[in-house]
Amino acid sequence: MDFKDYYKILGVEPEADAKAIKTAYRKLARKYHPDVNPEEGAGEKFKEVAEAYAVLKDEKLRAEFDELRKYGGQPGGGFKPPPDWQRSGGFESGGQSSEDFSDFFNSIFGGGGGPAGAGGHTRRPMRGEDAEIELPVFLEETIGDQQRTIEYTIPKMENGQVTQVKKQLKVTIPKGLVDGERIRLKGQGVPSFGGGEAGDLYLHVRLVPHPLFDVQGHNLTITVPLAPWEAALGTKVTLPTLTGKISLTIPPNTQAGKKMRIKGKGLQGKKETGDLYAVFKIVMPADSNEEAQKLWAQLAESAEFDPRADWRSTK
Amino acid sequence: MSATILQISFAELCNLERLEHDVIVEIVSHDIVTPIQGELAADWVFEASAVPVIKKAARLANDFEIDWVAVSMMIDLMQQKEALERENAAYRLQLERFIEG
Repeated sequence: MDFKDYYKILGVEPEADAKAIKTAYRKLARKYHPDVNPEEGAGEKFKEVAEAYAVLKDEKLRAEFDELRKYGGQPGGGFKPPPDWQRSGGFESGGQSSEDFSDFFNSIFGGGGGPAGAGGHTRRPMRGEDAEIELPVFLEETIGDQQRTIEYTIPKMENGQVTQVKKQLKVTIPKGLVDGERIRLKGQGVPSFGGGEAGDLYLHVRLVPHPLFDVQGHNLTITVPLAPWEAALGTKVTLPTLTGKISLTIPPNTQAGKKMRIKGKGLQGKKETGDLYAVFKIVMPADSNEEAQKLWAQLAESAEFDPRADWRSTK
Repeated sequence: MSATILQISFAELCNLERLEHDVIVEIVSHDIVTPIQGELAADWVFEASAVPVIKKAARLANDFEIDWVAVSMMIDLMQQKEALERENAAYRLQLERFIEG
């Protein structure tokens, strides 16, 4: 076990006052807190910083640490608490748990080793942690209740050792789910290692991108490619929806980017059903032939249309 | 077959480690999350999706030693950012469909 110099971790002098320690901690928290810094390793770094601050902000713990530092603060060398060291067990959680802290911390300040009667209060067994897994859901699956077997790994205590075990669970995925929603499975999270309740398992719903449909809330959008003559003359297309095909009449002179609403063919909400929007785009054939070119030329000669008429005013 | 639940009660939330009664009341009174049922705190019911928000709010208040107004602003901005990122990704995908093919 290595000695941890909490002053060095916070980047402050050993003589620093409480205010300087707090300022240093808050700056490092701003930099490394996992809620504001998603980078790998930030969380670990923050744990170290939080541990250092938990000790240095507490006058009693800081005094104890200063004593130890004189004794064992040799960098590089392994650290062992002095043989006559009395673990104070003095760490009073202010919303934090010493379980997250290092062995070094627990060997010095951890509970249990203190003089008898120092603690006095009995601790409630710790509840197991909640677990969360991503649940990819196809759009088609949100329309009705679905049964699904999910598989995940959670830590389990076996013969005094923590191992990762695979768990399978059959669950009902209720209809009308939206992206980002969470489903809670009570007591299916990490078991408690101290005889308490198991944590919950949360399924974080992620809608799988669909090859045809885009999702906005409960509405869907499908992009419909049209040949130039279809856009000009109008046509009928067979339009796929989530629940089957429908026939859609495209009026003559349909512009690219125009939207048509097909009511009630969107996603199923908990209260209402969304709509499907068809957005048109005009696609040129990949290759052309002489005859087609002639016909286009004919059209070009007879049509009095300037698609860039707006540009004329801006010289 | 395991029952899926989309809700969590106030009592269950208090039972979660590190979540104190007063903390949840502060979080609700600052509109960080809104219960879907219940007038009195003891009767509150939340969507399951509120749990990570409540935990995050408690974490931010504790770890940054900031007040609830600041926590509420932070969460609000984080949620706005996430929503914009999602919207942006959706538009990008739609634009690709429109231009390609």
